[in-house]
Amino acid sequence: MMKFGNLVVAGIVTGSIYAVFAVCVAVWYRVSNILNLAVGDFAMTGALGVDYLSRVENWPLPLSILATLAAVAAFGYCYDRVVLSLAQDRLRRHEGIVVTFFFTFALSFFIEGIAQILFGTNVHAAPALWPGNSLNLGGGLNIVRAGILVLACAVISGGMFALYIRYTLSGKAIEASGENYLGARIVGIDTRRYRRSIFVITALLAAIFGIVESPITGYTYISGAVISLTGFIAAAYGGFRHPARALVAGLAIGVLEALLGGYVSAEYGDTVMYAILAALVLARPRAMGFESAVSN
Amino acid sequence: MAGLSRLVTARMRPGRPGAPLTTTGLVVVVGLVVVLAFGQQYAGSVLVLAFTYAIVTTGMAVQIGFSQQIAFSQSVFMGLGAYGAALLNTHLNLPTLAAAPVVMAGSGLLALLLGSVVTRASGLALAVATIMLPLIATGYVSSAGYLGGSVGMPLAGNLWQASSPELIAAGNGVITVIALGLVVFVASRILNSDVGLELYALGVDERTAASMGISTPRRKLELFVLGSMFASLGGAVYAGTQLFVPATLVGSAAELSLLIMLFVGGRRSIIGAVAGALAVEYVSGASEWVSVNILLVEGALITVVLLVDPEGLAGIAATARARLRERRRGSGGLAEVPGPADTAGAAADAADAAGAAGAAGAGRLRVTDWAPASAPASGTGVPLLECAGVSKDYGGLHVLDAVSLTLPARGRYGLCGPNGAGKSTLLGVIGGTVSPSAGRVLLGGTDVTGLQPQQRFYLGMSRTFQAVHLITGRTVLDNVAVSCLRSQRSSLAAGIAGSRLGEARDKAAEALDYLGMRGLSGREVSSLTLESQRMVEFARAIAPRPRLLLLDEPAAGLSEPQRDRLSGVLHALGEVTCVLLVEHDLGLVAQITERIFVLDYGRLVFQGSPAEFNDSAVVNSLLIGQ
Amino acid sequence: MSGPGPGTALGVTGMSVSYGNLVAVHDATFSIGAGESVAIVGPNGNGKSSLLMGIVGLARRRGEVTIFGSPAPAGDVMWTARRGLTLVPERRQLYPNLSAADNVVLGCYSWTRSARKARRSDAYGRALDLFPDLRSHLRQAAGTLSGGQQQMVAIARGLAADPKILAVDEPCLGLAEAVSKRVYEALARVHEAGTTLIVVEEAPKRALLICDRRVEVRNGVVRAPAGGARP
Repeated sequence: MMKFGNLVVAGIVTGSIYAVFAVCVAVWYRVSNILNLAVGDFAMTGALGVDYLSRVENWPLPLSILATLAAVAAFGYCYDRVVLSLAQDRLRRHEGIVVTFFFTFALSFFIEGIAQILFGTNVHAAPALWPGNSLNLGGGLNIVRAGILVLACAVISGGMFALYIRYTLSGKAIEASGENYLGARIVGIDTRRYRRSIFVITALLAAIFGIVESPITGYTYISGAVISLTGFIAAAYGGFRHPARALVAGLAIGVLEALLGGYVSAEYGDTVMYAILAALVLARPRAMGFESAVSN
Repeated sequence: MAGLSRLVTARMRPGRPGAPLTTTGLVVVVGLVVVLAFGQQYAGSVLVLAFTYAIVTTGMAVQIGFSQQIAFSQSVFMGLGAYGAALLNTHLNLPTLAAAPVVMAGSGLLALLLGSVVTRASGLALAVATIMLPLIATGYVSSAGYLGGSVGMPLAGNLWQASSPELIAAGNGVITVIALGLVVFVASRILNSDVGLELYALGVDERTAASMGISTPRRKLELFVLGSMFASLGGAVYAGTQLFVPATLVGSAAELSLLIMLFVGGRRSIIGAVAGALAVEYVSGASEWVSVNILLVEGALITVVLLVDPEGLAGIAATARARLRERRRGSGGLAEVPGPADTAGAAADAADAAGAAGAAGAGRLRVTDWAPASAPASGTGVPLLECAGVSKDYGGLHVLDAVSLTLPARGRYGLCGPNGAGKSTLLGVIGGTVSPSAGRVLLGGTDVTGLQPQQRFYLGMSRTFQAVHLITGRTVLDNVAVSCLRSQRSSLAAGIAGSRLGEARDKAAEALDYLGMRGLSGREVSSLTLESQRMVEFARAIAPRPRLLLLDEPAAGLSEPQRDRLSGVLHALGEVTCVLLVEHDLGLVAQITERIFVLDYGRLVFQGSPAEFNDSAVVNSLLIGQ
Repeated sequence: MSGPGPGTALGVTGMSVSYGNLVAVHDATFSIGAGESVAIVGPNGNGKSSLLMGIVGLARRRGEVTIFGSPAPAGDVMWTARRGLTLVPERRQLYPNLSAADNVVLGCYSWTRSARKARRSDAYGRALDLFPDLRSHLRQAAGTLSGGQQQMVAIARGLAADPKILAVDEPCLGLAEAVSKRVYEALARVHEAGTTLIVVEEAPKRALLICDRRVEVRNGVVRAPAGGARP
């Protein structure tokens, strides 16, 4: 029972990472109809950037965090300005699968390449923001402190975002952009600017989570890929347009992963999980919330 | 924005496929020259590796290059081929060259099993399901000791067994090029066959392709098996030339690399697929820095190429060639000319068509020739088409409200109504692209309400759409032949063995004759005016000799002489088959049709002869206004 | 053909609208006076909607457009909204999963970013007062409303921007007779309150009942008899 409980708790912690990234992918897709497959790499950049600045360059931790986040924001802004604008805003709108997958695939590769140059190939992690041992939740359940931070971040950012969307006009404008591109432009919404803001915010959010979560698992320059992929899969289960469903799917995948790793096999746990997920998609695509968003 | 609906929506330029022998010859000759000249140097080994990847990407071009359906399975099968060859060589002492066909066969079987499950999904579900295949494969391979775990598996058997390293290198290279040549040949034959034309049509617009009878499910499975077999051949060749199977050969990074190679080169072109593999591998082999930072380079490369042209290098080459041709011809193409028509083009087309008699019936087709293909004879007294209580709701809107009408086996009928009255929706329900919320559709007494557009096509239904969906880069003849492909009865293997494209082209030529468009059959479609393109679509719709022809605003955008010609053709067609047209031009409708149906807010408010139509008060207030 | 003069709400000179290589409107020139109501008529697919899209800035255009005397920068929808021209587009283009109230309040986006100020504004109040039938449906998701209700929401959204010129594209597309009548009554009241009204219609019977004059668009060519006279 203890083992089950601890596995579930650990699963919820990693699941919340997937959940956050899944939400980022889903929200971003709603606004821009592009799938951002580079979220995990922004997380990796956050983690490794802070580690590099604070450990190698010996900057104070808060400065390292701010500098890294600023760099991520600047990069995200430039990428949208240069690449995404050209892809979407010019007369030749690239549509379908090309835009949906490849631009952020390419971005993911690009970021990993740069990270490889800057940070090398070893495993690193940002310093723990809340140092100390695992906390005892009672009844033999433990949770690592970083895990609590991760959950707290998830709840805070999720809550803030939900409030923003519901109660402010610009929040509604973001939703409107995703619901009906033409209808949004009619009322004067600058959909391009919103897309850019959401992209930068997504990147920042991912970076923050990377910083907070990395002490738990450690990152290398290619860690981002798997996280992006899992976030993508979780968002897919939400049909790519429903952040709430994506969130739940992310948590579920995290828990499933933990349970499979603990009960079935540490080595093949992930393999079995992906096989199960793939089978689910094929058996019941509609029940899993799929729309053929790509086949148009 | 009805005007937009007439834009040519096919913005892709796949270009004509090169003839199989030419393409293969080119690849093989270049490959052999390279291998024999540089074989002993480092450059040679890089190029051999590139050719190995090209074996895989060529299969990918055929499998996923055309449709919008991406399946991420190639690296898995490449790994299967590589590991399989290594295992057979190490444990059973099978020479790698002999192991290659064995793993290919095994992969084919596995792909058949896996594919029949996977290809039932499409679009996003397909992509998500298959994106986990590389993950599953990596997870398995890294933990499997007998496969060398996360490092990889060495083997001793070269493809070409010889005494000296020089001979081995040369022999390996030659075998690789021959394998590539084989794959290129097969792929080329497919693209040039009737199946290839199906692929091109699918790449333009799936809905139109479905309405022309092109059936996707079986084709998807066949392509999946083919692509997988080619990928595993590439894997076996890899094992036999590199003598080591790294665990990174499978996995999402490898999968993405393959996709990048394909898209950089040009996903709808075999030469493009080969060129892409060459470009990426050469760049990464040429410089140490690039090889170490391959992620960075690939990411930047694919971004730049896609921004310039989504068809990759092949697309860039095609655009360059087209621009050169235009410059030599001196015309400005479809420029922004003040005035509704490209007058030069229209004059040329008119001159071509003027050779035929002005009225219809010119050409070989006579009333007695028009035996509607594959249509069971319906009993007398049974109407050809019956809509019974058809309704369609979208959210809160009732787009169609209990529409009931019948049409006999022959005649010309018009469907009119104000904008938004539901005309196109009704056509969609009849054609099968829209499923009704209530009611039934019967064709010759058979309930077809649940049938797909492809199935209705084979029962004798054919239609045009408002938007023009032609395959750019191919001729008028080929475009018309799309509807004569009999996709239901053909298989991929048959397409490789002997293409039936000739038969389809013959039928298409008859339809073009009938319409007096013979002179246009060799022209490439994007060089035509919009009006001529619409006539090509019309020819495509009548080529299979349907017993029910649905036309969605066929006269839109046509010039006066072309309208007259259309009117004549429709008169003749009405003698042999049933034509239902949706049209805004009330003059044309009254002139052509013998019975008119009027929809208003989804309801049938009038049906009668043109004379009754002109006198009807309801119709006057509705459509003509003050 | 007179150029834009004083009291001209909308002036269009030599405007052509294109989508890629396709030219939808050729060299259009006409003007609409403040307080007028004009019907833009013509067969479908001939450029009526493109005309509006070009004026508002949603389609590529060449030529000059002035709104109350100031030349409009091409492609800037926000500028035209701030200057007083709002478009209610063909097929409504609402946000289906947002509530009806949210749809309308987003119409205020052109002049404020505060949701609270928007909801308390006169423009928002007037927009909702025009359609008392909507009161009980304000919280409902817009996609689940009937066609007529959706059209009312779309017009209310247009009015929430407090426009001086309201352009409506095919207001009765797919609507039943009785509902169309109510929509046109509302539009008539909007015009009586002093707003300049532009209505695009394929079958102009209803439009001409409330409009002073008509502008014809055929094959992308605009024919506009001078203002004031009834044809």
